[in-house]
Amino acid sequence: MKMRKIACLTPAVAGLMLLTACGQGGGDAGDEASGASGENATAALPNGMTVQEQIEARQKKLENIGGAFKTISDQLKSDSPDVAAIQTAAATVPAEATGMADWFPEGTGPDSGVETEALAIIWQEKEDFLSKISDMQNAAATLNTTAQGGDVAAIGEAFKATGGTCKACHDKFRLDD
Amino acid sequence: MTADKRQLVWDWPVRLVHWSMAILVLLLWWTAEEGIMDWHKRLGLTMLGLLVFRLVWGIAGSWTARFAPMIKGLAKLPAYFAALLKGGHKPSFGHNPMGVLSVFALLTLLGLQVGSGLFAVDVDGLESGPLSTFVSFGTGRDFADYHEFNFDILAVFIGLHILAILSYQFLIKDRLIGPMITGKRPAQDFGETPLPTMAVRPAALFAALLIAIGGVYLVANAG
Repeated sequence: MKMRKIACLTPAVAGLMLLTACGQGGGDAGDEASGASGENATAALPNGMTVQEQIEARQKKLENIGGAFKTISDQLKSDSPDVAAIQTAAATVPAEATGMADWFPEGTGPDSGVETEALAIIWQEKEDFLSKISDMQNAAATLNTTAQGGDVAAIGEAFKATGGTCKACHDKFRLDD
Repeated sequence: MTADKRQLVWDWPVRLVHWSMAILVLLLWWTAEEGIMDWHKRLGLTMLGLLVFRLVWGIAGSWTARFAPMIKGLAKLPAYFAALLKGGHKPSFGHNPMGVLSVFALLTLLGLQVGSGLFAVDVDGLESGPLSTFVSFGTGRDFADYHEFNFDILAVFIGLHILAILSYQFLIKDRLIGPMITGKRPAQDFGETPLPTMAVRPAALFAALLIAIGGVYLVANAG
């Protein structure tokens, strides 16, 4: 009888925990929205772009890289991967990632008033951030040369390695979504 | 009819699916929070299999598992609710009309959750559901956003379900939790009314398993 009671309580506790988790998610979103003031969005940066332009430009570049990764990941999942598609996508990654170290000038962080998942720690630990960017660029270059070689197993390894460098940086420097 | 005679109200596949789903929702939530995506995908496909099985079982299962009598029972919802408020509650054989709403809401939300997960792509384009090869990166991202949003809705409805079950258990004193574990409740709860038979047909069970496993296999290897 006692055992039965414990078994009954388990789902109840679980459900309450789920509700709490859901509440926390909502809280984060609220903080993000209240941080946006929009005041600095049009401020000019030393490179001539406005804060908003800079943030949107890097988001576009990173999205393009995400899109290329999906193309490669789709083909690697397939029984008969389209190597030409992988090669085209892999070539865009180092190209899109060129100059990444310059995409994050001071003033384009969470206080900028523009919606961004870039965390303030980027500017506090700039050295580590830049070294992670260069890791990614090196891995992307290797991925591209490997892809042009056409060996699917090797491409898979290089793809995993590149993905690891993305994740290493995102885990520390990007807002957890 | 002796006083301690017990009547089967939930067949074993219904109970097994119910508790497996409860555990899987927890594990799926946890693996998503921790970013353990290989297991999240495996468990998600398992959930898909349970859902497909339950849908087939809603047509071919024993009487209380079937959707058709549940839909018929919905007509009694206003009367049932009025009686509940007046304190004149009578145990239902199978789902009571409120429970029917719960079944359809939770199965729909679970279906949307698993369905959107199949097409979802993570923000980096590194992790993706097995059917995401059929959609673009942008569309896959939209599915992922919906997957996240729908989970909150699902969690609210699971919370409501648990709240309702606890209210029945402690306020209305209609104990529903025990029967979902043992499958049985005292036969005297249903008086002398003749009840539908509760047979689990082996052929139906075999067909439901075959469709569920086959469906999961097709989805997992579609990419």
